[in-house]
Amino acid sequence: MLGFLSARQAGLDDPLRFRRAESTRRNHPDVHKYSVETVQWYPHDTGMFTSSSFDKTLKVWDTNTLQTADVFNFEETVYSHHMSPVATKHCLVAVGTRGPKVQLCDLKSGSCSHILQGHRQEILAVSWSPRYEYILATASADSRVKLWDVRRASGCLITLDQHNGKKSQAVESANTAHNGKVNGLCFTSDGLHLLTVGTDDRMRLWNSSNGENTLVNYGKVCNDSRKGLKFTVSCGCSSEFVFVPYGSTIAVYTIYSGEQITMLKGHYKSVDCCVFQSNFQELYSGSRDCNILAWVPSLYEAVPEDDETTTKSQLNPAFEDAWSSSDEDG
Amino acid sequence: MSQKRHRLVPETFGLKRRRERGPVEADPLRGELGSARAAVAELVQLFPRGLFEDALPPIALRSQVYSLVPDRTVADRQLKELQEQGEIRIVQLGFDLDAHGIIFTEDYRTRVRDCVLKACDGRPYAGAVQKFLASVLPACGDLSFQQDQMTQTFGFRDPEITQLVNAGVLTVRDAGSWWLAVPGAGRFIKYFVKGRHAVLGMVRKAKYRELLLSELLGRRVPAAVRLGLAYHVHDLIGAQLVDCVSTTSGTLLRLPET
Repeated sequence: MLGFLSARQAGLDDPLRFRRAESTRRNHPDVHKYSVETVQWYPHDTGMFTSSSFDKTLKVWDTNTLQTADVFNFEETVYSHHMSPVATKHCLVAVGTRGPKVQLCDLKSGSCSHILQGHRQEILAVSWSPRYEYILATASADSRVKLWDVRRASGCLITLDQHNGKKSQAVESANTAHNGKVNGLCFTSDGLHLLTVGTDDRMRLWNSSNGENTLVNYGKVCNDSRKGLKFTVSCGCSSEFVFVPYGSTIAVYTIYSGEQITMLKGHYKSVDCCVFQSNFQELYSGSRDCNILAWVPSLYEAVPEDDETTTKSQLNPAFEDAWSSSDEDG
Repeated sequence: MSQKRHRLVPETFGLKRRRERGPVEADPLRGELGSARAAVAELVQLFPRGLFEDALPPIALRSQVYSLVPDRTVADRQLKELQEQGEIRIVQLGFDLDAHGIIFTEDYRTRVRDCVLKACDGRPYAGAVQKFLASVLPACGDLSFQQDQMTQTFGFRDPEITQLVNAGVLTVRDAGSWWLAVPGAGRFIKYFVKGRHAVLGMVRKAKYRELLLSELLGRRVPAAVRLGLAYHVHDLIGAQLVDCVSTTSGTLLRLPET
């Protein structure tokens, strides 16, 4: 999937139509050779963005000229990368590849010699903490999630354990975050909690300061993706929500209580990724059916009728099952 | 003279039968709110004691509790409190990682005492089982026991632990750790797995792979289902193997698409 930059058109009353602003053409000399897995804007301004792909490279692009400013080559396919949104003292990009080592690439110097060792299989997701600029979380196919402080030479800070250290519940050896591969990682917007999803069809909420499993039970969160699953959390809502791609729908849960609010149906094939825009409180989701949909909260409240004696229950109107489809044109 | 008919043709011929509106009943099995303890008490009523000749204590499953208490986090928390207070025991039923059986401690103790001691009167492991019931059960509320816990804290020797495994009270999990088990639960697990598969098959074979709950409960029970349709339906709903959709005709069970 090529990275698209899109521009919004009208206000909320008109259906949103995304216009593709720019894209790299297929005969661009620097285009990726295989599927692009992760794209991220430079956190501080939009002059630069990074993209990583299955062709074992991480490319840094200049937005205005659409040329690559730098290329980092790796020995294995790159599953995911992330740059810290709050970092001021470093410009490290964490890269998760098919090898068991997490690589940190420095944008200032162009080197990628900093390696974090500790996982045993491929790294499927990496995420920096939005609260502390040196804390990194990595998730791997060996069922482990590790929290690292990148300044520390001697290994990870915490390995998350789903049983919180109680041997009595663990079937196999402890210290696993899930009973299968761990596919996706997302910090909550304040950085105090971490959500992980795994191929055991579970989603878990962890306290990111001590690595404790909060044991919130979301039920079955179907996950049959063999690569990473990119899910997202809301930011700025009164009770925060997590939006998880669930087959061809998107499941919406409240984070701290585990209740499923709704399933957003609109895509025709499996949803690969979704991202939340906190300024407009909108969710954008991309899927294999070649569409990006924008999900807008319905802003009107139900008008209470005069002849009803009981008042309608006040649901949070922000995410009440309204979707407006927006097809990308071209 | 008015030639106009004052009654509609279908009414004249009695085609439109007026349906009697019976009292609106709450859908069976749904709409129970309350605590986890009330849910477990209700579920053990559904357990068919006669099928096992009273040799097994009534076992409920964690997924069944989820179907009665809709908020899973609250249900988990309440079950954990009950476990810590010693009112229930949670047992790992080997067929699934998440399948935990819930038994009231009193029931467990009386059944194990009655049937195991009856079966092994005079055999060497009666003493070990007595000691286990008296000392370990009240002290440690976990699902499993470790080697050093058993030998040092509770003073069991290795031959005694082997006797406990032979009696069926413990199941080997790893080198040096054991699950708590219910003696004679193998038959229950076999019936349960077959029955779950059979009830799921009933929904799968229905047209559009969905069935009204009231219709499912009213159907003839297939031979593979020995524990009762209601018991299995609670488990399927709680384990999210079927989706529960509320319609105007009641609850509908539908197989999930994926």
